[in-house]
This record gives sequence, structure tokens and C-alpha cells, in this order.
Amino acid sequence: MLTVRVNNTDYQADVTPDTPLLWVLRDVLGLTGTKFGCGIAECGACTVHLDGKAVRACSLPVGLLNGRPVTTIEGIGNDPLAQAVQKAWMDIDVVQCGYCQPGQIMSAIALLRDNPHPTDTDIDAAMSGNICRCGTYLRIRQAIHNAAGLSA
Amino acid sequence: MIVLPLAKRLITTAITGLAVTCLTLAACQPATAASPDHPDPATIARGQYLARLADCEACHTAPGGMPFAGGRPFEIPGMGTLYASNITPDPASGIGAWSDDEFVRAVRAGISPGWKHLYPAMPYQDYARMTPDEIRAIRAYLTTIKPVARKPPANAIRFPFSIRAIMIGWNLFNGPSSSYPDDPSHTPQWNRGRTLVEGPGHCAECHSPRNLTMGTSHSHAYAGAITAGWTAYNLSSDLKSGLGSWSDEALNAYLTTGHANGHGTAAGPMAEVISYSLRFMTQSDRAAMITYLRSLAPQPSAESQDHSAGPTQAALARGASLFAGACSGCHLTTGAGRQIDFATISGASTLKDPDGHNLIQVILEGSQLTTDQGQISMPRFGAGYSDGDLSDIAAYTLLTLGKTRPAFDTNAVSTIKNSK
Repeated sequence: MLTVRVNNTDYQADVTPDTPLLWVLRDVLGLTGTKFGCGIAECGACTVHLDGKAVRACSLPVGLLNGRPVTTIEGIGNDPLAQAVQKAWMDIDVVQCGYCQPGQIMSAIALLRDNPHPTDTDIDAAMSGNICRCGTYLRIRQAIHNAAGLSA
Repeated sequence: MIVLPLAKRLITTAITGLAVTCLTLAACQPATAASPDHPDPATIARGQYLARLADCEACHTAPGGMPFAGGRPFEIPGMGTLYASNITPDPASGIGAWSDDEFVRAVRAGISPGWKHLYPAMPYQDYARMTPDEIRAIRAYLTTIKPVARKPPANAIRFPFSIRAIMIGWNLFNGPSSSYPDDPSHTPQWNRGRTLVEGPGHCAECHSPRNLTMGTSHSHAYAGAITAGWTAYNLSSDLKSGLGSWSDEALNAYLTTGHANGHGTAAGPMAEVISYSLRFMTQSDRAAMITYLRSLAPQPSAESQDHSAGPTQAALARGASLFAGACSGCHLTTGAGRQIDFATISGASTLKDPDGHNLIQVILEGSQLTTDQGQISMPRFGAGYSDGDLSDIAAYTLLTLGKTRPAFDTNAVSTIKNSK
């Protein structure tokens, strides 16, 4: 049994330590807001926060969490910065099909937490690991700028 | 044949002795007694440890194949392809029909039954430093492996190297000595370390350059060398390119887990050595190995052979944007691990080599490392990106994360692929 702290709640998961966090979130805890995309940290769909930093849950063995807290898309509703990002997303209808968007939003929040007023270059560098096959990149970039203004 | 009657007499004596002991001790359980056919658990465990130190499994297992069943190809430049033999206990395809003495001679002298001389890709010249008793323990362990009835492919070796007797000549220059006594001017720990490094560990086979007869160089011992496209780095105490800049702590962590902060993570053939062999070493053996490695005379690494102009600004810019998309998912843009420490590549020797040998190899082929915390892998990128893209990623990585000016250009990956 491993203890995993997700969204401020401790969960017991009966998995081997090399199980990727994403499998625990989706298949064991039923937190399906975090998506599976590529499984090799190439697409960003499974992005969650570990100690506030954006990480790819598909490539993080739960045995290496060592008690560090995880936040998923389900757990960000009360955070003012996250609320600003969500509002910015809705204001300009960033989402098209939506599959990559939980990952995009988690990466955007982590970026703004480290860098409250990112330039286009900062945004491109931080968001490059999050792929959107609908091509919403320009709206994502705009929404991040807008959220930076909202949360300022 | 003096051996057989003697052995028979010894066994008879042993049985008589056992019977007497059994009569004396009512609680004696003959089922646990050791015999040549049924080695005792302690010998098997010792043999398994020695087999791991000698890293038998890595070479004697084909990619995705059954353990110890052989079939792994070894391409020897100018000679052809050798296939590792099946060393499972299967009598026809493996070594089940060999006597212990035949096994000892094959491992220590490179001569298998029928006076068949082995090629020194099997490092018998190093394994000779293990005692016959130790080799017999390895044999005892190998008898417990699942037999696999499959012959590896026949070697495809060019004439005149196809004549195995040539190895008699090779052995005169490079072959095993009859004994390797401890050096009394050094500590027992140093001597143990020397045995581990020069014997079962056979580190020099990859980490020392080759001499004219393709033996390992003694004059440039452990100065580093390229084998099968991968650089085995300088292990000498050279401060710039050897282990001189490593702390004991870092060496200990690297040999245990394949990763040391500030030195990156083992990849390619070294990841195999960690996975199958070094991570099983006892703490005292690891300390002994470090003591001996520390004593290796400093040797400068060979200078870069590549004199191309290096990457253009456009290539580096392309590398930067590709890195952000393809690599930063695990290595951030700083070279620090995003998810796990194993992905922290800052400080790795691979990022200081201007030729980028291992950097390009690991990008093309990926890497697999088995640790006590599970499998750590880097996917292969060779199939998903163009050769030019991969060269540019490598050039950018070397320059920004390794602060090393690349001595290669956009054609580097194509050149490597074409040379295979």
C-alpha cells in the first residue's frame, strides 16, 4: 500500500512503486480529469502539479513521490490564480475539442506562478511540451496574457 | 585419468563421513547435503553474486530473449559478427553437458570443450582473475537457470579470423596469466577493488583503448574508448575528463543507482552494466572498487577527431525550439529532471564531449535503466524526427546545457547512420 497525497487528501493505493502516477489518478482514484496522451512525457496531456511544479504524470513512478503533494485539474477550483486562468480560458473560448486542455491549464498555472508576467517567448518555452492537435496555441498564448492581467 | 578415481575416493570419503555424522546426529537431514549435482544454497547464492559481478546475463541474453540463452550479436569491426552462446543448462544447446572443469577452463582460459578457442569478446583474460572455486560457484548458479533448447545463430566471422586457433597467438600477448597474487604494498581493500575492476568487472574491455593486437592498452589504461558507437568514458583519476572530479559520494551513488547529482545518468551499455551487475554489489565491494578506481594513474582522453565547422546559428535556433517540445517534458529547459532526478542531465560527461557521441546515441536509441525503484527509460527519438532535427537538438543541448562547443553540424546523425 502506498500513500499518495492528491488535492489535499491522503489516498491509499494498492499498486507497485513503479506504477506511473497517471494510472493511479485515473484507474485507482477515478480522477479522470487528467488525460492520457502519449505515455512518454511528449505531449503534456497528463500534466499535474507536484509541489506546485508542472510534471507529466505518465512518467512519474508513484514510488518516487516521497510524500510530495499532487494537485490535479480537479483540485484547483479554490486557487485565485487558477480561477483567473480558467476565466481567461472561458472569456475567449480557448477550447476546441478539449482533450489537451486540463494539461494546458495546469502548465499555464505553473508558469504564471513562477513568472506572473511572461513574454511570448516565455510562454512558448513553458508551453512547448503541451501539444494541441486542434491548434489552439494562439488562443492559449492570448489567454495566458489575459490571465496575467487578471491576476495582477 | 587420475581425476576420476580421486574424485570417486573423495566422494566415497564424504559419503562415509556423512553417514558417520548422521549416526552421531540424529537430527541430520541428508537432503540438504551438497553434492556436485546438487550444490548447496550458499554456493548457488555466491555463484549468483559472482555471475552478477561478471555481468554474464547482459551479454548472454539476446534483446527480448530468454535470460542466459545467448544469441546477442556483437559486431567486431573488420572481423564480422559474433553471437553470444547459450549458457543455460540445456545439454544440446547450452552447457548442460559440460563438466565443471570444462566450464572453468572455458571461463578462465578461453578454451571450451573440444579445444575450441573462444574469441576474447568473452573476457576470459579478465575472468582468469577469479579462482577456479569462484567459477565453479558460478556454474552451480547457472545449473539453476531455466534450460533453453535454442542454438544461437552461427558466428559470421571473416577469414582468417574464422580460424579459432589464431587466438593461441593472441593469448600470448593479451591472454590470461596463471595467477594474480595480491599486491602486499596495498591494502586488502585496494586489492579487492583491483580484483573486482580487472577481474569479473572487466571494466577495461570498454574503458581502455585497444592496442595493435586489439588487446586492451596498458600504457593508456582506462583513458576511455569508443565501443559500438558509445564512448566508455575515462575512468582514470584525470581531473578534466576522468574520475578525478567525482566525489566518493557521487561514485557510490552512480554505481548503486546509475545516477549521481551533477554527473547525469548512465545510458546505453553502462545502463546495462548498472542494471544487471553493479547495483547488486555489496557496500564493501563498492567501496573497494572506488578505492581501486581512485588509484588509477591519470590519463588524458583522446582529443576530438571531428574538425567540422560546428552548427550554424540557424541550426541552434531550430535545436532550441525542438528541445522545448521534444525534450523539456522530462529535462525541463535547464537540464533538470521535471518528474524524477534520473532525468537530471546537468554535469553529465555526455554533455562535455564535443563530438556528442553518446548524446546522439541516446537521442537515437533511447536508454533503459533498471533500478531498485523500477524501470527508468528514455524513449528512442530516432524514428520520429529527421536526422537534421536530431543533430540540431544535440548541438543545442551540448552548447546550452553542457557549455561545450559542438564539433559537429546538421549532418552528424546522417553520418552516424550511414557508418553503421
